[in-house]
Amino acid sequence: MPFNHKPQKFNAKINTVTIGSGDKTVTFGGDSTFPFYSFDAPAENTPKVGVEISDMGLEGFSAGIKAYYEGAETMGDIAKKAAAMEGADFLALTLEGGDPNGANKSIDELLAVVKEVAEAVDCPLVVEGCKNVEKDAELLPKVCEVLQGRNVLILSEKEENYKAIGAAAGLAYDQIVGAESAVDINLAKQLNVVTTQLGVNAQKIVMNIGSAAVGYGYEYVVSTMDRIKGAALSQNDNMLQMPIITPVSTETWGVKEAMASEADMPEWGSQDERGIDMEIMTAAADLAAGSDAVILRHPQSVATISKMIKALA
Amino acid sequence: MAKFVTIGERLSTTAPAVNKAFTERDAEPIIKRAKQQLDAGATYLDVNIGPAENDGEDLMKWAVQLLQSEFDNVPLALDTTNMKAIEAGISVYNRAKGKPIVNSADAGDRIANIDLAAANDAIVIALCSSGMVAADNDERMMHCQNMLERGMMLGMDPSDLWFDPLFLVVKGMQEKQMEVLEAIKMFSDMGLNSTGGLSNNSNGMPKHIRPIMDSALVAMAMMNGLTSAIVNPNDLRLMETIKSCDVFKNNTLYADSYLEI
Repeated sequence: MPFNHKPQKFNAKINTVTIGSGDKTVTFGGDSTFPFYSFDAPAENTPKVGVEISDMGLEGFSAGIKAYYEGAETMGDIAKKAAAMEGADFLALTLEGGDPNGANKSIDELLAVVKEVAEAVDCPLVVEGCKNVEKDAELLPKVCEVLQGRNVLILSEKEENYKAIGAAAGLAYDQIVGAESAVDINLAKQLNVVTTQLGVNAQKIVMNIGSAAVGYGYEYVVSTMDRIKGAALSQNDNMLQMPIITPVSTETWGVKEAMASEADMPEWGSQDERGIDMEIMTAAADLAAGSDAVILRHPQSVATISKMIKALA
Repeated sequence: MAKFVTIGERLSTTAPAVNKAFTERDAEPIIKRAKQQLDAGATYLDVNIGPAENDGEDLMKWAVQLLQSEFDNVPLALDTTNMKAIEAGISVYNRAKGKPIVNSADAGDRIANIDLAAANDAIVIALCSSGMVAADNDERMMHCQNMLERGMMLGMDPSDLWFDPLFLVVKGMQEKQMEVLEAIKMFSDMGLNSTGGLSNNSNGMPKHIRPIMDSALVAMAMMNGLTSAIVNPNDLRLMETIKSCDVFKNNTLYADSYLEI
């Protein structure tokens, strides 16, 4: 019997959300099929890859990543090199130095970094907070203000601070709101509902549904993304049709496979390669499960994942 | 499974204010009632213009264009015994948000409305009766089969025939209620869609009792596979029940604010 191909058609699609300004923009989402199911319908858009840099400079980066940035003295230099990475679609600046349990940088110090980076590059920008909900509620609205007109994606509002961050990003300063939940599909939907109830346009929301490195409770991430895409497409649930962005590098570079030195674990081989492997494996799995964008650190990971997207899309 | 489809019933000539507004082509009261129903979560709006023997075509066109231009091509059920008026309505209908519903055909005098729906790629509500209420489920299912075959012969997709078992009034036909629910189960087992005027069950009951009876019945009917109902969407208890049942049936993903969307 000949194979009879029946495309799986949905009367629904993932929203398209564009970040960036002028002729330097990038668009997330737009699919009306499951990830890479181009045999069901041609893809309207492809997933995007962002490069992560930090207000802490190169401090926390692996030797291989530091080598790439060699010669970069200032945050502006780092930003320029990151944006020039092969396969990079956008830049993601994380303000981890703001964490009160870490470097606890002041908001003014962090805003100076934001301004320096924004002036150095004209590519589309994502700005991530320090992950402390109280500090982010103060910091991120100010970031929205200084970056007015750049149409940046702000990561993230959470259940605890969505009013301050959602209103600043989505209403007052016309940026894109990143809604973050911790691998909980009901909360992902709930956060979108309450954010739109603030008055934020659903077309201006991108979700970060949570992430993990492969091997670290990762199957929950896949199952959550899978069910979100299922509800968005098959149930036409417009409170789950926001594109998904997944910060990969912050997870994968913090696990023992990436952190253990070669001296401690000679049988595991090159530390840099292990870190790259973790980053690529996690990002590839995220994309296959439904992420519309991933954020990575290592130039080799960025180039490889971007090549994978081109080959599969 | 798709979410339960509610068809708002409040635009009907049986309401004197609506009747007057239709007759005088007074847009304001129509828009107000339509908005109340859509805000409350109605998917479709029923447009019942009565028999409308004189100016039905003109009236239905006016109503369809008024509602669809005001409410982003809201999908509509065109409800009249005047077939020409339904066709006129469909001729100006925008399908962006859903096919028009022809309300309604039966297995007797009004069977030609199935032909009308088939010719116009519309959904049709198919009442499982012929003049009189069906005596039992054997008769209901015979009508169902006949109408299904007729629709399919004319090229309709079976999912575009929404079978109505005819909800019966409790005060008078209490012993028939389970039979109606069993008919819904039989439609569902055949993979068919179903709908009906659910609130008929509570006709003649005190006003404060009706939402309770309607909510209980819609839950039981959804359990048996009812896919739609023609209801008053401004009955909060009923709408909350429908939304909750949609969660239990996994038709929609739960979120704490599910009642608000």
